[in-house]
Amino acid sequence: MIDIVVIGAGAGGLAAAITAKEKNKKVLLIERESTLGGILNQCIHNGFGLEVFKEEYTGPEYAHRYIEKLISLKIDYLLDTTVTKLEKLSEKFIITMTSEEEGIKKIEAKSVILTSGCYERTRGHISMPGDRPKGVFNAGSAQRYLNINGYMVGKKVFILGSGDIGLIMARRMTLEGAEVLGVAEIMSYSNGLNRNIVQCLIDFDIPLFLSHTVTNVIADENNNLKEIIIQEVDNNFNPMINTEKHFFVDTLLLSIGLIPDITLLDELSVKVDPKTKSVEVNQAYETSVRGLFVSGNSLQVHDLVDNVTKESERAGLCAVEYLNKENNEAEEIRILAGSNIGYVTPQRLDFSWNSSLIISFRTNKKMEKAICKVIQDDKVVYKKRLMFLVPAEMETISFDYQILNRTSDIKVVLEELS
Amino acid sequence: MFDYIIIGAGIIGSMVARELSKYECKVLVVEKENDVANVQTLANSAIIHAAYNPEPGSLKAILNIKGNYMYDQLEKELDIPILRCGAYVVAYNEIEENELDRLADIAAQNGVPEFSVLSYSEAFKKEPNLSSNVTKVLSLPTTKVTYPWEVAFAAMENAIKNGVNLKLNYQVTGIKKTNDYFEVEINNQDIINSKYLINAAGVSSDDIAKLIEKQPKFLIKGRKGEYFVIDRRYGDFVNHVIYPLPTEAGKGVLVTPQVHGEVLLGPNSIWVDDKNHPTTTFEGLKYVKDHSKTLINNIPYDRIIRSFAGVRASSNHEDFYIKESEEVKGLYHLGGIESPGLSAAPAIAEYLVNEIMQVNNKYELNKSYNPIRKKPIPYYDLDENKQKELYAANNLYGRIICKCERITEKEIIDAIHGTLGSSTIKGIKKRTRAGAGLCQGGYCEEKVMKIIARELNVSPLEVAYDKKESKLFTSETKVVKK
Repeated sequence: MIDIVVIGAGAGGLAAAITAKEKNKKVLLIERESTLGGILNQCIHNGFGLEVFKEEYTGPEYAHRYIEKLISLKIDYLLDTTVTKLEKLSEKFIITMTSEEEGIKKIEAKSVILTSGCYERTRGHISMPGDRPKGVFNAGSAQRYLNINGYMVGKKVFILGSGDIGLIMARRMTLEGAEVLGVAEIMSYSNGLNRNIVQCLIDFDIPLFLSHTVTNVIADENNNLKEIIIQEVDNNFNPMINTEKHFFVDTLLLSIGLIPDITLLDELSVKVDPKTKSVEVNQAYETSVRGLFVSGNSLQVHDLVDNVTKESERAGLCAVEYLNKENNEAEEIRILAGSNIGYVTPQRLDFSWNSSLIISFRTNKKMEKAICKVIQDDKVVYKKRLMFLVPAEMETISFDYQILNRTSDIKVVLEELS
Repeated sequence: MFDYIIIGAGIIGSMVARELSKYECKVLVVEKENDVANVQTLANSAIIHAAYNPEPGSLKAILNIKGNYMYDQLEKELDIPILRCGAYVVAYNEIEENELDRLADIAAQNGVPEFSVLSYSEAFKKEPNLSSNVTKVLSLPTTKVTYPWEVAFAAMENAIKNGVNLKLNYQVTGIKKTNDYFEVEINNQDIINSKYLINAAGVSSDDIAKLIEKQPKFLIKGRKGEYFVIDRRYGDFVNHVIYPLPTEAGKGVLVTPQVHGEVLLGPNSIWVDDKNHPTTTFEGLKYVKDHSKTLINNIPYDRIIRSFAGVRASSNHEDFYIKESEEVKGLYHLGGIESPGLSAAPAIAEYLVNEIMQVNNKYELNKSYNPIRKKPIPYYDLDENKQKELYAANNLYGRIICKCERITEKEIIDAIHGTLGSSTIKGIKKRTRAGAGLCQGGYCEEKVMKIIARELNVSPLEVAYDKKESKLFTSETKVVKK
């Protein structure tokens, strides 16, 4: 039986598989695409690796560092193989997968790490009104068409959503000869990293319309996109009259958010956190199903790939710990998101684990200066000053949880400092 | 010379084609779109109604009741999906309860089987999320849901197997009648001759009539309906079709379980000037949201994966307009086929062919007519042994293309090369559901595009999203010229 099956060979899966293999565990990495590296392969811009390698790489270069290591460690992996079902029978997992080469096949594993990444929200998810022509693409799909397949989806482009993929694509399409007429963002602040706003929009004179959204999509007689209308929105995100702006474009790229892809867990009854739209985990990245770990963008959408790598390395180590771990009755408390906090992971702290505690969270409002406090029984057990908080950037804190009592939940709060 | 030309390959044109294929006559179906079932048939509630509200004695009532029965037979013959979920029509107060009783009366007069009036608590047992504001329910167990374009495909495929011809991208641009036959002009150029002409052009049926009649007796007025689609993985909050009481504007905003597990919310009902332009609006979608919420609690609005709109072919007549033209003999109109058009479709075809056109008096029976059509293989609905067997015969069943709906490469290829093959992204989605799931093609569209290009031996630059001119790509990226 395999010790650890890792599902998805993007940044997260590569890191988790490597860490587990370095501890001499029998690992199998399963990837549905025909190459290792996941979404990194289509991210041909640079900016990857500053935290992990102190060097700046493109996406494929970053992936390559890990792929080399994977191969030198002789880690087993399968390509062009889609996992279709994940089940748990008593203490073991049954993984059903399929490929052109082998058809449907089942394997057993003691533990599973899901690093299946995320999918893009579509116009359907935000109920964007209008016609349904060709020319409305998810930014990531258009990026794949452009950078992997070598095709342009259009020449005159508007972008909805200031998420990082949208910003990167604004620059990429411009460099490739398209005209990018603007980026609209429904929030009053940008959802992308500041460096991307500067390097992808400002440097190319592409206007950013904050508090605006697309309110109509108009097709021509061939069902090609010909025009979009954007409008300013009020505090409840309702479009305001007389604020219409028309853009005559053949392409609308959507960069309106990523959602962790945990559809593989449908068959298992795993506890879900509506805030992250992913599963609840403890500090070992273990879900409510013992031995099932989730990390990377399938746990929470990260801004930087370096953090996906680091989180998944920790998940890999925890899966190794699980293999030798006794199944004690766990003492467990909950980690709650308090004031000004959008979400936290992990959502649970389980005292039966040796693994350290790293709490990731996002603020839900922009703050210059703030103090982050962890509170248990009305007492502040940990605090840290933080600067320049924005919802677009994930924050992490870490402290020794042995100082906590094992009965009361803890709450993470942010207090704005003036 | 054809005996019959049918204009329009929606659900009605397809059913009429199949009905005619039972006879020894030469039939051609012409469709202006590049696919069967591309307009009204593609955007509706998918319900086979019980006939609880059409005026007793009207064609709508008679053909709805009959059509509903006929779908049971069609399910066997054409291998189409039917969800037997039943329906609840709900009332909220005493005035509405009286109206509900009146509907029960209509249902009785129309011969709706098995209907009953339930108290809230009785209905609540079967529908735990039913709004507690509901006071009384008309239960209609014979209400069913189907997959409308699959039904049209099935009927058309079967018609083709039985000798009918189909031409897509054939728009009728002129019609002339000489002494004993019609000259039908296609795309402003070619002329095709036919003894009889059947106008099943849906929202465009009055435009067709105007091509030959001085004063058409019916006029289509587009009535738009907007919908939401809820992810099938969260579709179990409702068990029945839930209707409010019908009004002048139609059956109202409904909550409708679908055959593949999704739930539709909608439609609203808006008169539109441009009947060829089913667009959704901010206000329209909001209306659907606000009204669906009054029927059922716990609707997972955060699990909406798509919204769309369709235009109903409502006419200036209350009833369906199914008649021989008063001006031109041999021209038959199927006008104003709005709801319950899908429900009545097989009965409409039979009524037209047997009673109005009396084809049985004109042509012999087609002795080789075979009513059976098998649906394409849904690989992931099969049991393990069957899957293994199919994989052994073709290993492309092993490769998943659409991960949300679990559609394999072999199924995509079959959809490209089938009797009604399609080579557009939208056509493949209609046939296989690749791209119809949670990520809405975010993952599989690229893979489908590549398979289409490979199977047709064309460049990806030639692959269209929908209409021929709606190519996915505008150009290659900067390449070094060889």
